[in-house]
Amino acid sequence: MIVQLINGLAYGGLLYLVAVGLVLIFGLRQVVNFAHGSLFMLGAYVGYVISFYVGFWAGLAVAIAVLGILGTLLDIAVFGPLRHRGPMTTVLVTFGLALILEDFAQAIWGKGLRLQQPPPSLSGTVEIFGDSFPIYRLAVIAIAAIVCLGLAIWMRKTRVGLFVRASSVDPEGTAMQGVNTDRLSILVVGLGTSLSGLAGVIAAPLLSLSPSMGSYVLIDSFIVVVLGGIGSFSGAFLAAILIGQIHNLGVIFVPSLAAVIPLALMSIVLMWRPSGLAGTEA
Amino acid sequence: MGDLGTGKKERQALARRRETLSQGAILIIAIVAVIPVAYFVRSNLVLSLMTQAVIAGVLATSVGFLIRQSGTVTFGNAAFYGTAAYCVALPLKAGLSLPLGIVLALVIPPALAYLLGLVIVRIPGIAFSMLTLAIGQALSELALKARWLTGGEDGFSFALPKTVMGLDASLLQRPSSMLIFSWSVLVLVLFGLSWFSRSRYGRVVAAIRENEERARFIGYQTVSRRAATFALSALVASIGGVLATLYNSFVSPETMHWSLSGMALIMAIIGGTQMLWGPLAGAAFVFFAKDWAGDIGEHWQAVIGVILIVVTVGLPGGISGAMMQIASRGSRLFKGRGAP
Repeated sequence: MIVQLINGLAYGGLLYLVAVGLVLIFGLRQVVNFAHGSLFMLGAYVGYVISFYVGFWAGLAVAIAVLGILGTLLDIAVFGPLRHRGPMTTVLVTFGLALILEDFAQAIWGKGLRLQQPPPSLSGTVEIFGDSFPIYRLAVIAIAAIVCLGLAIWMRKTRVGLFVRASSVDPEGTAMQGVNTDRLSILVVGLGTSLSGLAGVIAAPLLSLSPSMGSYVLIDSFIVVVLGGIGSFSGAFLAAILIGQIHNLGVIFVPSLAAVIPLALMSIVLMWRPSGLAGTEA
Repeated sequence: MGDLGTGKKERQALARRRETLSQGAILIIAIVAVIPVAYFVRSNLVLSLMTQAVIAGVLATSVGFLIRQSGTVTFGNAAFYGTAAYCVALPLKAGLSLPLGIVLALVIPPALAYLLGLVIVRIPGIAFSMLTLAIGQALSELALKARWLTGGEDGFSFALPKTVMGLDASLLQRPSSMLIFSWSVLVLVLFGLSWFSRSRYGRVVAAIRENEERARFIGYQTVSRRAATFALSALVASIGGVLATLYNSFVSPETMHWSLSGMALIMAIIGGTQMLWGPLAGAAFVFFAKDWAGDIGEHWQAVIGVILIVVTVGLPGGISGAMMQIASRGSRLFKGRGAP
């Protein structure tokens, strides 16, 4: 039972890492990024390739950097210019990007599954209450917690974090106060995509790599964002843990409904409080 | 026929009668026009592609119609498409009649859509679309897990009865005859939707799309009308599901996956939603692009992605919009440069 709870926490931690980038991007640009899953996938593959030459941690660093740069390009080229065109435009464009990225990954690495081993420092198992448990899973939980804490500190204690919070709540008001929201967006979107790259590399030993791994997490991360409350980072953390537990425990106790419960929860929240996702009506 | 006077009312009635006649003529010509195509195209592969494109076109039309009529985007129509497919397949698997299955397929998904619609059309903006995504995917997951009913991931195949309403049922599975049949159904669907959008009810729905608050102030019930439009879109998707399952005599929960809805949306956008036949053009494009790109490489997915982006950003009317612009400019040139 403990093992299952920890498994659920590990998956929840992973979901948090994927979703928090989405929360950042949505908070600032009010766009639903359908390419987020593909960026996650790309991060995983970049980490995979680099890790062959210089090891897991270097792979992680490179993936974070590459995805961060991609994110800034994405904001400069797509989210910025299209921000006045209505939310559906960016949804469609990011959808198209997702198709392109998935095809790109298929072209380079093929459709098959690839396995990634956890780094030597984190492999092996440890005894918990008599059950042996992979260290890597515990590490995932720890990494998610560290990122959450780091983001929380950054949000609350730094000037930029303040601007990000303000801009998520009221973009126009914040801009009127003199904050350069365009430059802020570039930074934040880049941060968001680098986090999804991080999530991809971390996820690889758990989920195995494939070009379609992105669509696997995309819907779950949307669910986390909606449940956590748009723009709420601590909410996203709680929601991710919740979804992680439902995912794992659900498979054991109510397998036929396990996948439906998070979707049902998302539907309920969307019906009850659509204001976050609906944004400002034109 | 009687003698029609020359007062205004009589002239309007005459004009309406002429319009109905010409509409009817276009309908018949459109349906009949495909018969020589089915006869002269010898390649079974091309015929099969065309048939699949037409059937996909029905699903794409359901999505495009909702965008055009209601201004909203749905990611959930594949769920209705797949449910309709199962409505046809399950009775046949149990040995019951095909007409029963077809009736179920055309009643259950739209009814479900109407009930859902009453709740969810109140939700504005992109939240509505995400809601359709969640609901559609939830239905898809339920279907996937209900192995005993749906065959799970593998789905199941079934046999059509020997004859359907006196005709040989194998006609439904031959590309040439199925092309004629599906095309006729599609043309009828397009005419039906066109009639709906020009009807009083349809025009109120369009008014709601433009400004819901104002429509409500004038006194119209906006929620039931929007739910009905959503249900009509689901009905068209269900028709597509019926055609698909008759053609393939196979169903699986994969037909309900949101990626199928996504592809239908892409077809509708690429084809253009201003014209009712736009999504069909988009479907034809996607299918034949997949075929042609197969020679260049297996990168049709990236090609579609690029075209989707280009159309969304630069060509909002899609293929059909561009064609109509060219046509109107051409006709203006033809008539001489006068103010239109």
